[in-house]
Parts: sequence; structure tokens; C-alpha cells
Amino acid sequence: MKMLKRFDGHSLIKALIVLFFIVFLVVPLFSILIVSITGVPINVFGSLVDPETFKSTIDAFKNSSLEFYKSIASKSGYLSALMNSLELSLLVSVVVVVMCLPIAYGIARTKMPFKKTLTALCTIPLIVPTFIAANAFIVMFGRSGWVTYIYESLRGNGLLINPSSMIGIAMVQVFFFFPYALWPMVAAFKLSDITLEEGSQNLGAKNWFTFAFVTMPLALPGLISSALLIFTVSFSDFGTPIILAPKDLNLIVVEAYREIAGFFNWAGAAILTVIMVVVAAFFFCLQHLFTKGKSYGTVSGKPKKQKIIKNKWLTRTIAGYTCLVVLVLLLAMISVLLQSFATTWGVGVLPDGYTMANYQAVFSSSFENVTNSLILASGALVLSVVIATFVSYFVVRQNASKLDFMTTVPLVVPGIALGIALIQTFNTAPLQLTGTATILIIAYTIRRLPYMVRSTVGTMRSIKQDIEEAAVNLGASRLTAAITVVGPLMIPGIAAGSILVFITVIKETSVSILMAPAEWAPMSLAIFQNILRGEYYTAAAMSIILVVLVLVLQAIATKLSKGDA
Amino acid sequence: MGSVTVKNLIKQYDGVMALNNVNLEIQEGEFFALLGPSGCGKTTTMRCIAGFEKPTNGEIFIGKQKVNDIPANKRNCGMVFQSYALFPHLDVFQNVAYSLNIKELEKRGPGTKIKTYARMINKKLAKSPPEIEKKVMEILEYVELAPYRNRLTSELSGGQQQRVALARALAMEPAVLLMDEPLSNLDKKLRNSMRATIRKIQLDLGITTIFVTHDQEEAMSMADRVAVMKDGDVIQLGTPTELYSNPKSAFIADFVGSSNIFKGSVIGQDGERSIVQLDGFQIRSTSIPKNKEVEVVIRPENIEIALGEEHPGDDILEGKVLMSTYLGSIVRYDVEIGPYIVMVDTTYQSGKSVYPPGANVKLTVDPEKVFLL
Repeated sequence: MKMLKRFDGHSLIKALIVLFFIVFLVVPLFSILIVSITGVPINVFGSLVDPETFKSTIDAFKNSSLEFYKSIASKSGYLSALMNSLELSLLVSVVVVVMCLPIAYGIARTKMPFKKTLTALCTIPLIVPTFIAANAFIVMFGRSGWVTYIYESLRGNGLLINPSSMIGIAMVQVFFFFPYALWPMVAAFKLSDITLEEGSQNLGAKNWFTFAFVTMPLALPGLISSALLIFTVSFSDFGTPIILAPKDLNLIVVEAYREIAGFFNWAGAAILTVIMVVVAAFFFCLQHLFTKGKSYGTVSGKPKKQKIIKNKWLTRTIAGYTCLVVLVLLLAMISVLLQSFATTWGVGVLPDGYTMANYQAVFSSSFENVTNSLILASGALVLSVVIATFVSYFVVRQNASKLDFMTTVPLVVPGIALGIALIQTFNTAPLQLTGTATILIIAYTIRRLPYMVRSTVGTMRSIKQDIEEAAVNLGASRLTAAITVVGPLMIPGIAAGSILVFITVIKETSVSILMAPAEWAPMSLAIFQNILRGEYYTAAAMSIILVVLVLVLQAIATKLSKGDA
Repeated sequence: MGSVTVKNLIKQYDGVMALNNVNLEIQEGEFFALLGPSGCGKTTTMRCIAGFEKPTNGEIFIGKQKVNDIPANKRNCGMVFQSYALFPHLDVFQNVAYSLNIKELEKRGPGTKIKTYARMINKKLAKSPPEIEKKVMEILEYVELAPYRNRLTSELSGGQQQRVALARALAMEPAVLLMDEPLSNLDKKLRNSMRATIRKIQLDLGITTIFVTHDQEEAMSMADRVAVMKDGDVIQLGTPTELYSNPKSAFIADFVGSSNIFKGSVIGQDGERSIVQLDGFQIRSTSIPKNKEVEVVIRPENIEIALGEEHPGDDILEGKVLMSTYLGSIVRYDVEIGPYIVMVDTTYQSGKSVYPPGANVKLTVDPEKVFLL
């Protein structure tokens, strides 16, 4: 009786949430690890209910070995895929940090002209999924791209840059991932205090000397942390390589996708998945170590003040440079926009003619994809709101640190890896969910839950426990207190988090392409398929619709969060 | 209305003793203060009574009913929180109406239920029924907040927020009113006027009130009886005057009002008086020592001070003024006698001069006002 009483509503919900994570995150990742050593697909849930399946699982275990890992070395495809991916990520992260240096310094420390506008334009990449960006680069630099046209008419033969190459992929990632590094770097450049720099100058140092030996060393941990972040993001990115990677360029995400979607090679896909998760987790942890050290350094009661540089020559140079970077982004987006209105776009700077037919085509034949995206995103939103709200309650009120940790695990799992793990686990009875909208929504939810939980935990922490106790003291049951007091106070945090979830689900590429069934194809999958089929103009039109949708939602989110403050 | 009885209350957190066998009997209609330094267990005791903490051992009765197994939301103890814990999304009216709405939820059908939930979340969603409207307005008039009924609580001053918290607790007509350091967030002047307001309301309604505070002045000026707590124990319980004039330990003597406390040893008797040897002088006391080694406790206001040449009589101690502090109605002297610094309070009569630092003074103490503990 006493046991029964202790097992109240709260612990029931907590148990359900833990169960959700175990079933849809822990077990899939665990079973993909097992598949990587047994070499054949296994059915974890089937083994639990069916003795026959259990027996075959045991048999599979008997045959398990590290054979398949040894084959990485021998099977040159996997090794080169891993090496290529690491090379790409290294290249991208170094270039991004170098490219961002002047921009971050300009935003943090100078009074450069058009700072606000340039800063705002630097956020464009955040609303554009990479596969759309990749397509834009084809429109610009591809064989019949308009940049290529200008280049040829000026100088002659060949491509300026081949988008379908390592360099092309790196360029897209550099230009469309740099904002992830830019803001941490801006913060890093604000670390150095005016007193330190003046101290240096007072001792006779020249400006460049102060920059090199005072400002930079202080910013260095922040820069390294940014590089590591970009490394993880680039390594996990699926959108760019799937569009641009040529046949002879092996990248691990593409390789894993082909193993599963093309050859149903479970052993190979599993090994690649395990490698991806390990690499991503390693760099994620490394980056966290750096961030931790950094925040320790910045916590101080005294507000820091930076010297703002007004030197016209310097600020104009930086502003000009920033304009160039932003210009590439703008041109990429304008290219997609023009393409979406083009009748055809042969060889030339501009399309041959303009039409609304592409949009009409989208609205008449592919409008379903738009509604699919909205429905799937809404589903993921509802599920993550419910889970995140309860998780933040348990984390804040009951100090559930294990649950807290579990909700951050998805951060280190690349989308393609999560997809493969889920497909493997749920493609047979008793839990046959592969190919349903349900598992797709669950995948989206798990992938985006960490962001949602951050948002709701923050709000929950700001609600003091005694407010809830006051409601109970006045006669409310825990549930009534939750509905009438905690719930209404949580709304701002939930709203901010859920728009973020909605946006990222609409942008989601890897999970959508890998897992979405035909009847539930979201916009991203439709665009992807259109590009594969060569229907570039409808793909462009749908891309523009997607970007506009995200832009509108982002504007609403900004307005909402300003309303709170 | 009800009495509150706490029997053998023990509370442990992870093996650490927070409450060590607390016993209290609080009469119906009494204003009872729990006084003690932070960490003494006074708030834990109150939270056990309110039902927010589960006692490790012991019994709690409200009226004749044992409440150990009654959940916090059924105990009918109105609580005023230290932070007030007002609902920031509701206006003054809906804050006060909260408990009435909860009662509404319990008794009516589904239609009313939805309406009640709606107005508890946002007042624009549904109107309050006339009986709630009437009752809340009565209480708001009583605490002089009727004009502020539509304000959000964040738009009120500290004193007004305090009164909303009080009104909200009173609206449920609680058997017991619990107040956890309710005045600690107010400035001194406001604190004094709120003391009077709270005491007046308590007397008006005759409501049993338990008041937690670390401020002895607050406890002494408001409460009928005070329990002084230390390290999870009640170390003395009595009326304010009992505590003040008859402290059972040096801790209480110091905590309840200020005291001069010196260590000494009893060396003899002079009739009914004990003679205590201190470092350099002797002092006599009518109180009966328990041991040879004693703590001599003298209230600063029980010492008379005069300039060297003025004062005749027995029990004279000679010393030098180190510092004089003018506190308005009284003057506090710090007087150096040998190794001791003795605090002396005298009432200040206007026109009279204050002895300057360095002045040689003589101190006299009535042996009846020297406690040996």
C-alpha cells in the first residue's frame, strides 16, 4: 500500500519519459553498436517477447567479432570516407575561424560602418538549410552557372570553382556555418579588458603588438572552441555532401546513407554510424571542455569595457571585407530566388524568362509536402513541449541529473546516425515503426529536444518553488497548481523553445531524407528528390517557400522573446 | 480556528538532525513566535506544520486532529511566505481569490470547473461569481487594497505586496495562520507599521498565528508567547517579559535583548547574596548559582552610571568611558573596567550632557538585577 502511494502521478510520468528515451534513443544506439560487431541486424524488442527471435539474437552474438572493424582498414572505402570527412571538417573549421577573425573583431571592437545591417545579414545562413545552399552554389558555380558564364567570357575556359568537389563542399559549409562560430568569437574578442590593452600600450607596445600578444591570447580559447564546434557541425552535415559530393569523393555521412538506402548493408552502416557518433561525441566533449574554461574566465563582478576602435582606414577595410562575405550569401539566395521564377536558365547571367509557373506547380502538385512539413513539425512540437516541460520540472525541482544528461545525448548523435539507428531497431515486429510518420516525428523530437529542454529549464528555474508551494498551501493539489500557476508562468519559455523546434524540424535534412515515407514526404525531401530528378526550378520555388516560412517564424519568435523582456 | 500541538517532532535530512524533539502547545487564538538564528530549525518546524516537510518522527495536531498524514493542500493552514510568493501572472484580486476558486473547483459540476480554471489562469477568460467577488472585496477593503484590485502584483510596493500575501492567506479562513519571516524584506519604518497592522488583524480575527523570525525585537513586540530555538531544540519558551527578565541561559540573555556577559566564580555568600569574583573586582547577586563557575549576566539598562565624584553607595565599579553612542531616546556607553568592556544604557533627558570618552565614571548595579547562569 505504501509502495503504491509513493508511485504517484509524478513518478509515473517520470518513468514514462525515461522509458521513451530508453526505447527511442538508448536501445537504438546500443543495438547499432551490437550490429557493428555481429554483422547482422538484430531485433532487441523482438528478443524480449519472442523466444525464437531471442535465439537468433544469441546466435548472432556467437558469431560476433571485431572482424568488421578490421575490415575498415582493408575495405579502403570506409577508411577513405572517414579520412575525407575529417579532412573536410578540419579544412572548414580552420577556414571559418580565419574568415571570421576580422568580422568578429569588427563587430566586437570597432565602430565599423553599417555594423548593424552587416550583423543582421550575417544571420542569413541560420535560416537556410545547407542542401538549398549547396544547390545555390551549383546555380552560381556549376557548369552552366552564371558565375562560370562571367568567368568564361572574361578569361576563357573551365570552372572558377567546381562545386562538386571537396573545395565546393567546403565553400558551402564555410559560408553557411560561419555564424555558429561568429558569435562565440565576438564574445571572445570582448574578453580582453581596456585596462589590459592600455597597460600594454602604456609600456610602449604598438597597436599590432597589443593585438598579437594581449587581445589574441585572451581570445584564443574562444577561437579554438568555435573551431571545434564548426568541426562537429561540418562532420555531421548531410545536406551539402549529399547534393555536391561527386562519385569519387567518399564522405562518411554519404557512405553511411548509401550503405543503408542503396545496399541495405547493415554491418557497414552500423560501423559507420558508430564511428560517426564516436567522432562527433569526442569533438563535442572537447569543445565543451574549452567552453567551460572560458566561462570560468569571464565570470567577474566588474563589468568589462572594451576600447572601441574608430580608425577609419581599419574600420572601412573590415566593413568592406564583411560586405564581400555577406555578398556571397546574398548572391546565393538571389540565385535561388531568380531560379524559382525562371522559365529556363541556360548559359547566361540572368534567366531566359520569368514565370510564376514553378510556384503554381508547387501549389498544385506538391502542396502536400508543405502541409506534411507543417503537420510533422507540429507533431514534433507537441511531443517535445510535453516532454521538455516535464523534464525541466524534474531537473529543476527534483534534481534529476541523469534525466538532464540523457536529454543532452542527442546533441552528439549526427542526424544520419540517429536515423540509421532508429531504422535498424524498428523495422520488424513487435515495434514496426520504420516508414511511419510516428517514428519520423519521434526522430525529430529526439534530435531537437536538447534545445527545447534548455529553454524550458531556464524558465522553470526562474519560477521559485515557493510560488508552487503557495498554491498548494491555498488548497490546490499538485496538478491544479501545475495547471493554474506553473503552466501559465512557463508559457514564454515553451513558446520560444517550440518555435525553435518547429523551425529546425522544417529545415531538417538528414532524418527527413533517410526516414520519411513517400506519403509523408516533407518539403526538404521533396526538394531533394526534385533536385535528383533534375527539376531544379520547382526545387528552387519550394526552397524559397521553405526559407520564407522559416523567416516568418523566426520573426515571430524574436517578437515573442522581446515581449517577455 | 484551532490550537496547534507539536509532540516530539524530529526531522532528519540525510542523517543530519534538523529538529531534535520539538514540543509545542499553541493555544487557540494565540500569537506565537518561533525565534532563533538562521539554521535553528524554526522554518523547518513551520514547514512541518504546513505539510511541506514530512517529519521523521513525532506528531502534529491542528485542533484535535492529527495531521501527519493529511497532505499540505488539505491542512487549511494559511501561509505567508518570506518572499510573499505572489502569483505574478494574476492580479491582486485573483491572487486573493485563489483559495476561493480552489473550493469552487471541489464542489461544482464540469461547467463551473472549466470556468474556474479559466479565470485562475487569466481573469479575462471568465468572470468571478458574485459571492467570491463580495468576499474578496471585503478582505481587500480590510487590508486597504481595494483600489489596487486590478494591478499586477509586480506593480505594487513591498508593503502592499505583503498585505496581498496576508489577504490571500486570510481569504481561505485558515485554522492557523503561518508567517515565515514576513517582514524581512521591508525597510525599517515599514516593518514597524506592518507589525502593528498584523497584530491588529490577528487580534480582530482571533486567529491562531505562528510567526517565524530571527528578529528578537519583532518577536518580543508582537507575540503572546515566544519559543527560542537553537540547533533544532526549543531552549526556552515563555512570554516576552519572562524571557527578558528571566533568561535561562546566556545565549537567551544575549539573543533576547543585549546583555553584558562575564565569566566568574562564586567565592562566598553575603546573606542571601552570592559574591562572584571577576577579573579585578567582585559583584553581588541575589540569584542562586547552580555551579561554582557562573556566567554573570547584566542588562545594559540595569546599570547606573555617574561621574566619578557624584556617586555614593555600595557595589560601585570604577571605569573609563571608551565610547558614547547617542541613539535618540537612550545613550549607550562602552565603559572599560579592567579587562572588560561593559555596555551601559541610560535614558537621555534633553538638555543633559553626554559623558565624553575618557571620562572617569562609576557604575552601580542592583544585585537583584544580576543573573548568575
